[in-house]
Amino acid sequence: MSFRVFMPTSEEELQRLLSERSCILAGGTDLLVKMRLKRVHPDRVISLRHLEGFDTIEDLGDSLRVGCKVTMSELLNSDAIIKHSKILEMALREIGSPQIRNRATLVGNVVNASPAGDSIVPMLLSNASLSIGSAAGERVERIDDFIKGPGLTSLANGEFVKSITFEKTGDFFPQFHKVGQRNAMAIAVASVGSLISESEIRMAFGSVAPVVVVPVEACKYYSRSGESFDEDRFVELAMKSVTPIDDVRASSWYRTTVIKNLILRTLKVWRKRGYDAD
Amino acid sequence: MKITFTLNDETLTMDIKEDIRLLDFLRDELGLTGTKEGCGEGECGACTVIIDGKAVNSCLVLLPEIDGSEITTIEGLSKNGELDPIQKAFIDEGAVQCGFCTPGMIMSTKALLDRKVYPSDEEIMEAIEGNLCRCTGYYKIIQAMRTAAENLRKANE
Repeated sequence: MSFRVFMPTSEEELQRLLSERSCILAGGTDLLVKMRLKRVHPDRVISLRHLEGFDTIEDLGDSLRVGCKVTMSELLNSDAIIKHSKILEMALREIGSPQIRNRATLVGNVVNASPAGDSIVPMLLSNASLSIGSAAGERVERIDDFIKGPGLTSLANGEFVKSITFEKTGDFFPQFHKVGQRNAMAIAVASVGSLISESEIRMAFGSVAPVVVVPVEACKYYSRSGESFDEDRFVELAMKSVTPIDDVRASSWYRTTVIKNLILRTLKVWRKRGYDAD
Repeated sequence: MKITFTLNDETLTMDIKEDIRLLDFLRDELGLTGTKEGCGEGECGACTVIIDGKAVNSCLVLLPEIDGSEITTIEGLSKNGELDPIQKAFIDEGAVQCGFCTPGMIMSTKALLDRKVYPSDEEIMEAIEGNLCRCTGYYKIIQAMRTAAENLRKANE
């Protein structure tokens, strides 16, 4: 590794440093691994360590705003998150280990844009949007527009994500199911996150398509069908958005089977809420 | 680049290499080889140290980032030639087999017990979620963590 490290204290200074060959270092839990594997080789690494601000969780009334320096551990210790975004709490608990969660940031996990990104699932379910800063000013983009493909985002040269804002979802029944090779530290083989109420279902799948996907048709069917809701029909529609691949963690066939079972489990837990599910 | 940090209760100001990891700095530049390198990608926890009260993987920390921080490594635990109660508990419970994961396990235990006087078994297991041991099967380690908590409570009575 050979690069210079910069530790700007202000946003202006940070913007001046951003260039084609620079990388922003927030928690470092992804970047340092990628640099070691020589998948990225920046000339300059811009650490957010001394950047002032961007480290708060703000209550904006109907939504919450999380700065780009806020770590996963800080979110898990936040009363506002526990109260208003149970679904985010559930997903974060599934990520890495205490050591990882003490460094990794929510914004970093979103910018990383992995199809297996556990925190992307609750962010999609909570209609998150990102505030993106550059020398030209600030723009706001919805998370589903922001993530373009596996590891790809709309972030242009000279831009950086300042914060993420997402809806409070305390009125919904939240569930996050993840299947990995083991409990701790595992990257998902498949995951299903959901927010359910009598009239609405929001669902998102991790690790079964090039990006975290929302089964839009199935969700619309749930709201439309009312009394005539048919579980098999829902699963059939939901599976249309699932296009898993074979990789080191699981085969496509296995992922398809797992995701189907996780959808069924989600519906069952919702049906039997208040009672024991299994 | 010049940085200032506290390492095992000693404040240091040093001119450092920018592009190395905290782990390399501890082992190669300072000779503190108690912190181990296992996987080098944050999976195994052998390189766990405590930064500002929190357990972190030193293989995932770029050295300049410790500027202004307080760091504790396994070498910082024993005082005046006396082992720390956590270290003693690991020995007493036979929680050490090959020993490679032990410094990391102990640092994760310390990070837990510094903030929880009465940890539940669930909290104990969560604390070492990011530490792999390939010898002991974890039961003796978990027992050592329970004993360490008890010993620390007694010591503080």
